[in-house]
Amino acid sequence: MLYKIIHKTVYAYSGPVSLCHNIARLVPRDTARQHCRHARILIDPYPEVLTEYEDFFGNKVMYFAIQREHRDLRVTVLSEIEKMARSGTEINLYGHVAWEEVRRQLVSQSHTFTDAVQYIAETPMTTVIPEVAAYAQASFIPGRSFYEAAHDLMQRIYRDFKFQPGFTTISTPLSELMKGRRGVCQDFAHLAIACIRAMGLPARYMSGYLETLPPPGVEKLSGVDASHAWFAIFIPDMGWMEFDPTNNQVPGEQHIAIGWGRDYADIAPMKGVILSSGTHQLGVSVDVRRVHA
Amino acid sequence: MTATTQSGSFLQHYSGTGAFYDELLGADGQLRPHWQTFFQSFGKLGLSEVLSRNQDVLRLLKENGVTYNIYSDPTGFNRPWSLDLIPFLINREEWQTIESGLVQRVTLLDLVLKDIYGEQKLIKNRLLPAELVYNHPGFLRQCMGIRQPGKHSLIFYAADIGRSTDGRMWIVNDRTQAPSGSGYALENRMAMARILPELFSGLKVRRLSGYFNALRNALTEIAPSRKETPRIVILTPGPGNETYFEHSYLSSFLGFTLVQGNDLMVKDNFVWLKTLGGLERVDVILRRVDDIYCDPLELKEDSQLGVPGLLHAVRAGNVSIANPLGSSILENPGLMPFMENIARHLLGEELILPTVASWWCGQPKEMDYVLEHISSLVVKRIYRNPTTSTSIDGGTLSSKQVQELKLQIKAHPWLYVAQEKIHFSSTPSLVDGKIEPRNALFRNFLVSNNEGYTAMAGGLTRTTADLGAFIISNQLGGVSKDAWIISPEPGRVLNVHKDLEKTSALPMDPVRAGAALPSHTAENLFWVGRYAERILGNARFLRTVMQLVVEGNRRQSEDELPSEECLLQALTCYTYTYPGFLADDARQKMQDPWKELTDVLFNEKRTGGLSQNLSLFNRAVYAVRDHWSADTWRVVRGMEERWAAAIVSTQGGHLRKLHALDDLITSMVAFIGLNRESISREQGWIMLDTGRKIEQSLLLITLLRATMVYRFDDQVAYELQEAVLSSHESLVNYRYKYRAHLQLPLVLDLMLFDPNNPRSLVYQLDRLKAYLSNLPRTGAPHQLSEHERLILEAYTMLKLSDKDQLSLPGGSENSALDAFLSKMYSLLVAIPDVISKNYFKHAQAQFQQA
Repeated sequence: MLYKIIHKTVYAYSGPVSLCHNIARLVPRDTARQHCRHARILIDPYPEVLTEYEDFFGNKVMYFAIQREHRDLRVTVLSEIEKMARSGTEINLYGHVAWEEVRRQLVSQSHTFTDAVQYIAETPMTTVIPEVAAYAQASFIPGRSFYEAAHDLMQRIYRDFKFQPGFTTISTPLSELMKGRRGVCQDFAHLAIACIRAMGLPARYMSGYLETLPPPGVEKLSGVDASHAWFAIFIPDMGWMEFDPTNNQVPGEQHIAIGWGRDYADIAPMKGVILSSGTHQLGVSVDVRRVHA
Repeated sequence: MTATTQSGSFLQHYSGTGAFYDELLGADGQLRPHWQTFFQSFGKLGLSEVLSRNQDVLRLLKENGVTYNIYSDPTGFNRPWSLDLIPFLINREEWQTIESGLVQRVTLLDLVLKDIYGEQKLIKNRLLPAELVYNHPGFLRQCMGIRQPGKHSLIFYAADIGRSTDGRMWIVNDRTQAPSGSGYALENRMAMARILPELFSGLKVRRLSGYFNALRNALTEIAPSRKETPRIVILTPGPGNETYFEHSYLSSFLGFTLVQGNDLMVKDNFVWLKTLGGLERVDVILRRVDDIYCDPLELKEDSQLGVPGLLHAVRAGNVSIANPLGSSILENPGLMPFMENIARHLLGEELILPTVASWWCGQPKEMDYVLEHISSLVVKRIYRNPTTSTSIDGGTLSSKQVQELKLQIKAHPWLYVAQEKIHFSSTPSLVDGKIEPRNALFRNFLVSNNEGYTAMAGGLTRTTADLGAFIISNQLGGVSKDAWIISPEPGRVLNVHKDLEKTSALPMDPVRAGAALPSHTAENLFWVGRYAERILGNARFLRTVMQLVVEGNRRQSEDELPSEECLLQALTCYTYTYPGFLADDARQKMQDPWKELTDVLFNEKRTGGLSQNLSLFNRAVYAVRDHWSADTWRVVRGMEERWAAAIVSTQGGHLRKLHALDDLITSMVAFIGLNRESISREQGWIMLDTGRKIEQSLLLITLLRATMVYRFDDQVAYELQEAVLSSHESLVNYRYKYRAHLQLPLVLDLMLFDPNNPRSLVYQLDRLKAYLSNLPRTGAPHQLSEHERLILEAYTMLKLSDKDQLSLPGGSENSALDAFLSKMYSLLVAIPDVISKNYFKHAQAQFQQA
């Protein structure tokens, strides 16, 4: 399947901005199941400095700076992604390894999965508070396979939490989420990750897009899609397995990853520092479209 | 007489306890050889002489403003540094071991650092557990793959070492982030050499200069594109930082500009210093800001201490930072148990200096050991937590606390390390006039010399407040000592002064040589000038008014009252301490003006009050403390202290208050006079003097408006004029020049128009005009800038005015004078705003964008 993605970000400033520095992670990386054919980046006003590089996790990063006075900033990324279908053989023998066994292997210091180890420790956005640890227990029953436990966790989050935009922000702590029981995809991904880390196991934060389809017979409107977030767990000798608790599904062709990190902070789509006298307003729109060959 | 008998009298309180290794006494109870010459010289001086020199040292340190700031210290901002006159002695043979051991260790740590941010072979080969690196907040993923120029990544290193009961020196801590203390070590040596030169005689004490020379070369060496004379700056978190004294001290000593984050900016992937004359490129940053605070764009987002985009400028290879961002990963006690193996693997060597036995709980076996022996161990986290103490002495915990700690360890085993307790050796210390043993920890400093590393032949020793205490920390009130590396045989006398002069005589950084002034510094100097004049003006006028009130009390005459009332009201306007004597209850206040006057003098919370202005002045002075000479600094400290003493004795009579004012005025005049001589940088002096001239002009106008605009009867007018002139030290001048009775036109002539009167407005504006036209241009060359236009208008208006016309009455007021003064005020008061906008550049703030 081939997708065309248009991701627009607009900052409108209340006062003139004399200088801005930005870090953007908006260009999808290649993975085993997707290939970025090409990506075009349009920045207005045109930046005096623009550099692209890969970060520690292998995500594509863009640094740019605008050094003359401006009142708004538009960043548009047009990317074309080829998505490979899931082969049916991904859950192999190791998929049945019990979660306790995975944990034992990873603490033994005699394994070679050093990269995965960094996804075990909690981070500021995935703090393991007692409520979270208690919530995790129900999925991680003794002897269960890690895969199954994570799958169960995904289902429970989908059932127990309501999807409600506007109720939380990116800085809402997990304790609030546990009380309010509603939030958006980032919250659910962070919760699942914190639960898995509470058990001493590795999980990472996935950032990307999800294609939405209109009801049959209705034409799809542009800009209705959104950035999306989900999580993945690491099973030794098998690799990273993804889960989407917002939609209660194992991501397939419709999930397009931009990249990943330990939590949102590692893969935030855009952040910046401006020199200004006031605040700003942010607008984002995303459009994910199938390209019919 | 032998050394032993000579020293016996003052060493009578000294005895080793047996619990520790003693630095001074051997197992036989005799002085160790390398101490004998020292105590011989000590004996010649005699204890009472040494104790009196001790007072001199304390005074010297205080006058030089040597401080160590204690965060959240209720007793004050700056705590004076304490120095024990008995140094920590290390003999040459032992020093060779320490030196080679530390050079080996820093060489090794440099390789580890390069590997962690490079290929990560140590992790892949399982010589280093991944958790120790990946889960440590000092591991900055953003710095991955960055390699600055030069042979070494790790430029600075400091180690705390202590002698265990077995007599060997052990490494206790590694400091790789922004090691502090080298400046204090230097200051300690300077103080010792100045106050107690006799103690150096007969000893070959190694010099500190080698370290500082190497430091200079090291920083030049890492400059991008191998510039020959790179611009090097010291990045400080600011005057609130605990070791700010050291930052400014090193800045002066090394000749590197001292900057804060907002003095720098990133543009075109380069780092620039914002100076009065525009942007100047920065090549190397000696950082004293913790790495995560250095860049709010990529690191800690809410940091106000850093420079947005800095890390990217490093990544682009356009600036180098020492130590590099990310080096705090090595401040990690979890590494200790792995260093032996890593040394064998990377260097093919055994460690020369042992490290404290440590168990990292990330390994199941080690964790079990720690849980079992927890009460005999010191438990630490693998990274320092700035808010809480990082070391927990297992032996001091209750059984409940032990259980809690065990649970924490089990929950996050990789986070914890346990170390064997070390009883540090005891060393002779001067405590309350006696020589007693105290436990000591020695900090040594190393710097890259591009081939290998150079260790400071000396260092900073800290001792416990009480014998047997485990934790040594300045925050907890420890005492410092100089450390001497010596050989026991008598040798040539060291000329310490010459040694240190040689280092500081190296060429100056062009920024400091006067070419450019960081705008932040310029702003502070400008405000120092304004506050200095404000305090001086207020103090003089207060003195005049207070004298009048004192005399008025004596005379008890009703006639005096109108002028006294008017002066008290003028005082409120002049000092800006509204409502004051203009309040609704002013009449009541004037019955006994002393209450209000005392408040204006001493209440630190009173806006416009003298005490408040003094503390604002001190803050501005302290923020640019590397600009003051030792003499200036002594004046500032003395002024601060005497004023604090005056505040305490508010119950004293009126004369006491007048004395306090006299004292303050004298000190402030001395401060201003000294600066004229000692601020070497032309622009620095110009900024300070611009601030003074602006303030003097505004104060003069305010005073004239408050006293000369309303028309009083002749007697009152006369007394007001007399008070104005006397508070401006112009009364004698007036009498000499006009030989006449006081009258308004002549008073105005003297105070506004006389170019030979250094207190006249025209005199101030004349200088201001010259200063302002010399400021670097911001607009087109043929155009006047805004501040030039303002001063030109004010100056012209003054020159075109006439004293007689201004004195013409208009009803109950001198309305022409009022209009003139008010227009003049509005022109002049706009100048600081314009200067601030054009040169200090703090109009725009830094915001996070998400």
